[in-house]
Amino acid sequence: MIPRKAREALIALLGANGYLDRGEDLALYEYDGGVDTGRPELVVFPRTTEDVVSIVNITRAHDVPIVGRGAGTGLSGGAIPLAGGVMVAFARMNRILEIDIENERAVVEPGVVNLDITLAVKGDGYFYAPDPSSQRACTIGGNVAENAGGPHTLAHGVTANHVLGIEAVLPDGTLFTTGGRERELPGYDLTGLFTGSEGTMVLVTKIIIRLVRAPEVVKTALAVFDSNEDCGRTVAGITRRGITPAALEMLDGVMLRMVEEATGAGYPMDADAVLLIELDGVREGVEEQMEQVRAACEATNAREFRIAKSAEERELLWKGRKNAFGAVGRVSPFYYVQDGVVPRTKIAETLRFINGVSGKHGLTISNIFHAGDGNLHPIILFDMRKPGDMEKARAAGAEILRYCISVGGSITGEHGVGIEKMELMDKQFSQETLDMMCRFKKLCDPDSRLNPGKVLPTGSGCMEIRQPPLTEGSTIY
Amino acid sequence: MISPEAKQELAALLGPRGYLDQPEDLTLYEYDGSVDFGRPELVVFPRSTGDVVEIVKIANRHGVPILGRGAGTGLSGGTIPLEGGLIIGFSRMNKILEIDLENERAVVQPGVVNLDISQAVDADGYFYAPDPSSQRACTIGGNVAENAAGAHTLAYGVTANHVLGLEVVLPDGTVFSTGGKEGDLAGLDFTSLMTGSEGTLGLITKVVVRLMRKPEAVKTVLAIYDSPEDCGRTVSEITARGITPVALEMMDGVMLRLVEEATNAGYPLDAAAVLLIEVEGLKEAVEEQIQQVIEVCRKTKAREVREAKTNAERELLWKGRKNAFGAIGRASPTYLVQDGMVPRTKIPETLAFIQDVAERYGLTISNIFHAGDGNMHPLILFDKRKPGDQDKALRAGFEILEKCLEKGGSITGEHGVGIEKLPMMMKQFPPDSIGMMQKFKGLFDPEWKLNTGKMFPAREPEAAAH
Repeated sequence: MIPRKAREALIALLGANGYLDRGEDLALYEYDGGVDTGRPELVVFPRTTEDVVSIVNITRAHDVPIVGRGAGTGLSGGAIPLAGGVMVAFARMNRILEIDIENERAVVEPGVVNLDITLAVKGDGYFYAPDPSSQRACTIGGNVAENAGGPHTLAHGVTANHVLGIEAVLPDGTLFTTGGRERELPGYDLTGLFTGSEGTMVLVTKIIIRLVRAPEVVKTALAVFDSNEDCGRTVAGITRRGITPAALEMLDGVMLRMVEEATGAGYPMDADAVLLIELDGVREGVEEQMEQVRAACEATNAREFRIAKSAEERELLWKGRKNAFGAVGRVSPFYYVQDGVVPRTKIAETLRFINGVSGKHGLTISNIFHAGDGNLHPIILFDMRKPGDMEKARAAGAEILRYCISVGGSITGEHGVGIEKMELMDKQFSQETLDMMCRFKKLCDPDSRLNPGKVLPTGSGCMEIRQPPLTEGSTIY
Repeated sequence: MISPEAKQELAALLGPRGYLDQPEDLTLYEYDGSVDFGRPELVVFPRSTGDVVEIVKIANRHGVPILGRGAGTGLSGGTIPLEGGLIIGFSRMNKILEIDLENERAVVQPGVVNLDISQAVDADGYFYAPDPSSQRACTIGGNVAENAAGAHTLAYGVTANHVLGLEVVLPDGTVFSTGGKEGDLAGLDFTSLMTGSEGTLGLITKVVVRLMRKPEAVKTVLAIYDSPEDCGRTVSEITARGITPVALEMMDGVMLRLVEEATNAGYPLDAAAVLLIEVEGLKEAVEEQIQQVIEVCRKTKAREVREAKTNAERELLWKGRKNAFGAIGRASPTYLVQDGMVPRTKIPETLAFIQDVAERYGLTISNIFHAGDGNMHPLILFDKRKPGDQDKALRAGFEILEKCLEKGGSITGEHGVGIEKLPMMMKQFPPDSIGMMQKFKGLFDPEWKLNTGKMFPAREPEAAAH
């Protein structure tokens, strides 16, 4: 429950248009891109860093939990409040504050949409490299919190490689900065530490990002396979030749058929798998590399190898990939996107395992993923209205993740731990490491007030667990 | 003071050959590659992570300050004890534990020499990218502590980009692992926190490094100039064309003359500056890029552009660069290497300022640096035996660093803050940033006894104990 005094102070701070508190409005903020839900009691929209500091101080004085939110496209429940409280939504802090092309950087507010950054610097021949598939909606603040990846992070690196510095607010109201405008600054790499801390340590109010020169040439190809396994083996074949594509995305048969029906991107309906390969760089290098990639695909029995001949063709191939989740939505009312990582060399056998899990639980599972770094996204289709289906989906997902760990991988490649994978953390990390994370959490947030109940397993004895308020209409699992 | 009991426990743990305590031995551990000095009371040599844990626990029981040491080639005093105490030397933990080429990584102990990693995987067509000029001596543990860079980090990134995971012993004796074989993909990124923490958060006992495939082709070019400004403009022009050389090293006239006399690398004695440019990648791409580079050099008035035609020629061009500091040693008994960063676009004006500083202080200052990222290394020659000379050199160095900051740069590009630049941290960072670092230091090392006096000032009340 938010005490009346806190509510009044927040309303006075932000004005009539600066908050939402009616049931029908709050319902829009109780979900994200994942399967968890949790309703905030109040959503506030700061306009400046000072607003954020004030919000933090007001809520602290009344011991009210807080959660940050960007566009709510996250896939692990990072922006879902598990204990009611105040949601700090950054949608109104959406300005690009500074673009410095000469020094290849920009300063932005957390509510700036990812793709908008690239659009702002495209004309100068630059782009912002980390490109989550949700980039037309997701915001940079959320990207930083989750250390977002994307198809092009294979060559360019994840968000952490593109953040030079941040300004942030601790749960006790302290405003501070880490890093700065230059790369490799002295002092502790706290920027690196906070990037990917999933909104549990600080609220980010400003980000200094690195811009990358757009490559001279980009070439995209689609390789078509009659066997999932051949496709999986191709990935190792390409990297063995010393080629690091800008992107290497695999879609299995189930997925590509759903995508083709929705987007008409040109994926052959009868294929067992396709590989979308993109190379960028200087012209001569790219042409040479593309020939090597063709050879690698032919060596693993690709039945077709198609190079996009124009920008439109390339856009179409990518349209399929980037709208995959939307395509799934046409087929199944609900789906559960998993996110695990396995060593590249274990992709084929992991796909076999996933196939087995699908059969075992009687659920359709389609695969789409960043093959270049072994980051899998099994998409488990289910129907929440059927009793027991959700549990089956979760169980299938957990089985797959445990398998990923067992072959030397990780429980998340890019979507974060959030709510859904919390209880698997002790399978991946030792107790000492979890204790360390706990100590950090306590250092930044001794009262467990910021985004409570995420990332660290409840059994680790780390934090007091805040009980969610039993308000009518809340749907908390 | 290390008590006799503490010493006994350590001797019992490590055996008579596992430590040094005689004054003549300890003097060898009181300096590094910089100008600071500090003598330890005891140096111990663990052979395993377990040894390190026991050493830390013994030190805790007896209130002994501790710090780690690799090869002692550091340039900012990171491994100099300021309060006596114990040095933990990692030279006996020098094994490459595992090489996994399929997954492009290796697991190594902290005492492994940097270049030895590349040599171990060379025949298979791989290498370890971060290449400090001291790589034939420096160790990976030290590289991680300082987030070491080198000539080739322009294209490949610094050490932090090549560390997938660590095993660390904390000041309270806890062993914990960060990252892993796939890198840090879940939880908090402790690997990046540890890398570059200059030995102040924990002792590194294992490193998982990323290996890279050797490029198909490499081409090296030496461009010779009659003016440092022209040389500086070449750098901007190359990057403006979107070419990323794997290395872009500049030497001014003073430096190249010192280097040529020592190494006969072929640098012309009457040049005002030279630029060593290296491009790597696929054969076709390299051909194309090197032609573009040569074109740029001609456009910016290089008086000569020399392409290395054989591996031997390439080695010779690099020999000059990599042995620069050694070459200085022939000309001056002592020298101070500064390490400042400026935005690439400000290189020419910074060079002019350095020249001005040299004149005002009456000191010879030569320049060698990683032009591609604006990381300057003014080398200030002085004679320690002359009273006041070291002081002058230090002050000149600080003036240069302040100018770097003023131009929007940084007080260190790669050598670390360590001892000498600690006061300048407050000029680079606002109090709230320093406050955060102190907070994290306090979390790892509540008693502030690991590598005390480095990097940033101690927090007020707790530090009073020392």
